[in-house]
Amino acid sequence: MMSSRERVRLALEHQEPDCLPLDLGATTVTGMHVDTVYRLRQTLDLDAPGTPVKVIEPFQMLGEIKPDLQNALAIDTARVCGSGTHFGFPLEGWKEWTTFGGTPALVPAGFNTQPEPNGDLLLYPQGDRSAPASGRMPRGGFYFDAIVRQAPGNEEPRVEDNLEEFTVFSDQEVEYYRRSTEELYTQTDKALVLNVGGVSLGDIARVPGMGLKRPRGIRGIEDWYMSLSTRRDHIYKIFEGQTEINLVNLEKLHAAVGERVAVAYLTGADFGTQNGPLISPQTYRNLFLPFHKRVNDWVHQNTTWKTLMHSCGSIWALLDDFISAGFDIINPVQCSAAHMNPFDLKRKFGSRITFWGGGVDTQSTLPFGSPQEVRSEVCERIRAFGPGGGFVFNAVHNIQALVPAENVLTMYRTAREYGRYPLRLESAA
Amino acid sequence: MAQFEELKQAIIDGKAPVAKELTDKMLKEGVRPGEFFPKAIIPAMDEVGRRMRECEFFIPEVLIAARAARASSDILRPLLVGADAMVAAGIVVCGTVKGDLHDIGKNIVAMMLESAGFKIVDLGVDVTAEKIVDAVRQNNANLVAMSALLTTTMVNMKGVVEALTAAGLRDKVKIMVGGAPVTDAWAHSIGADGYGKDAPAAVELARQLVAV
Repeated sequence: MMSSRERVRLALEHQEPDCLPLDLGATTVTGMHVDTVYRLRQTLDLDAPGTPVKVIEPFQMLGEIKPDLQNALAIDTARVCGSGTHFGFPLEGWKEWTTFGGTPALVPAGFNTQPEPNGDLLLYPQGDRSAPASGRMPRGGFYFDAIVRQAPGNEEPRVEDNLEEFTVFSDQEVEYYRRSTEELYTQTDKALVLNVGGVSLGDIARVPGMGLKRPRGIRGIEDWYMSLSTRRDHIYKIFEGQTEINLVNLEKLHAAVGERVAVAYLTGADFGTQNGPLISPQTYRNLFLPFHKRVNDWVHQNTTWKTLMHSCGSIWALLDDFISAGFDIINPVQCSAAHMNPFDLKRKFGSRITFWGGGVDTQSTLPFGSPQEVRSEVCERIRAFGPGGGFVFNAVHNIQALVPAENVLTMYRTAREYGRYPLRLESAA
Repeated sequence: MAQFEELKQAIIDGKAPVAKELTDKMLKEGVRPGEFFPKAIIPAMDEVGRRMRECEFFIPEVLIAARAARASSDILRPLLVGADAMVAAGIVVCGTVKGDLHDIGKNIVAMMLESAGFKIVDLGVDVTAEKIVDAVRQNNANLVAMSALLTTTMVNMKGVVEALTAAGLRDKVKIMVGGAPVTDAWAHSIGADGYGKDAPAAVELARQLVAV
């Protein structure tokens, strides 16, 4: 049996390993909501009832995927990340908390909330309740949405205002990455995915600046999207500034972690909607591609890492450009979006990019389907994406709350059972 | 009239200051407020919708055009009274359902419906079924448009259909739904009257539903 590291390496080289590599939790877009992690751990008898689960990413309320769960699901990957969060407080000082769903959880010390009169929860930048709240979880909800705190009268924003949150990593932060990589590399055989904060250009999750106490610049979501058309030069300069910082950080990280990581998750900005691209291909080429290429070129010239791009939605019309920009891997592969048929994607792009995701439809089948429907769809996706390698299995984006544990287990068990190479799916559902 | 064509083009091009200035100028020159929608704003947004469907316009261009349309309609709305009152194509209560705070798609739909001559009662986000029922009653609405972006909140659309039925209003409104995880099959499974896959489709659907 191959090591996980070797399995993932071969898949990324577009060769068939012994079986399909499986991911859960290697990135903040291939994880699972804390409620579902808790139910899964209980179903698998991994914990006594009431054992809390750590929230390792408070914006999306992702639960920790510990080694015992990784092993139970035969996961081949593990996440290397920094010490920070979207809300600007570090992942430390764990305290007890309960989700609206009743899940016992552990959250960082800076996770300070305030209930609104209607029961919504507010979350504060850097844990500072004296600053305007930067996140809201509706009553009964499952994660936070950014609160837009754009200052009025923003007709003449300054480039540096949208760069405030992007800084060169401190020695302490680099050491955090180094130590985490060393532990995972020496104590496991998992393929490591480096989650590099701040490389995403125009990532709408980051635009509101949830980690800043008083963000300035363009922080409104609609304002940002409009600015891609009305303030092109301004946005170009923001991306230019961000890329300079990114390259410095990548160099520092590479010096610290070397070739121990297999993949660098570089950008989570979405370029697709349910029906088509979010922006025109020309806008991508003018504003984003030059900087994406610079970063990918640096990684490919200086490291052995493969680069991963996340973009939700219908991106068929943009994939050639993403490949030209140098990305090796595309995630989450939202096949439920328009023009994203898995067989067509593999046929046209499969020799040039690895599909990381796409394992099951998370808008319908995984949350609402029967286990048999999950099984059938997973088999179909393996048929589509599996041949020739170039496929790392994951659901499409984070597994949400309310997804039945049985469906999650069926998904991974099917992927393991029918993901052995050479693929033999004739007897599969 | 050349000036209507100029206003129409300013909206399509997303030139809000030009749209505002032209609207003011034309009103001062005696153009009736009620003429602007049928001769400039509605054709402009119909063209924006066409370009969206043809993948010539994307989210940034649509938002900019909608902003320009609003720059004109904000001036006109208070003037559409008395002899200049416009017969609304329909009265729409719209909102993002309970538990969901996402509104960009809903806002684009609302703007395009308004530009198509519908009266919009926008309840915002995280809207309960009760609030929708109250708004339908108070505004004598004949259309409800609901949006959800999450698989965890789209289930609340069913509650709205049930609440309208329980309130005895179901046969007085048509219900349309939309949002990323929503499908035509889902819409029909919860008893809605239609599904709009994007903003232009929502406008087309609204026109069909009020014509029935």
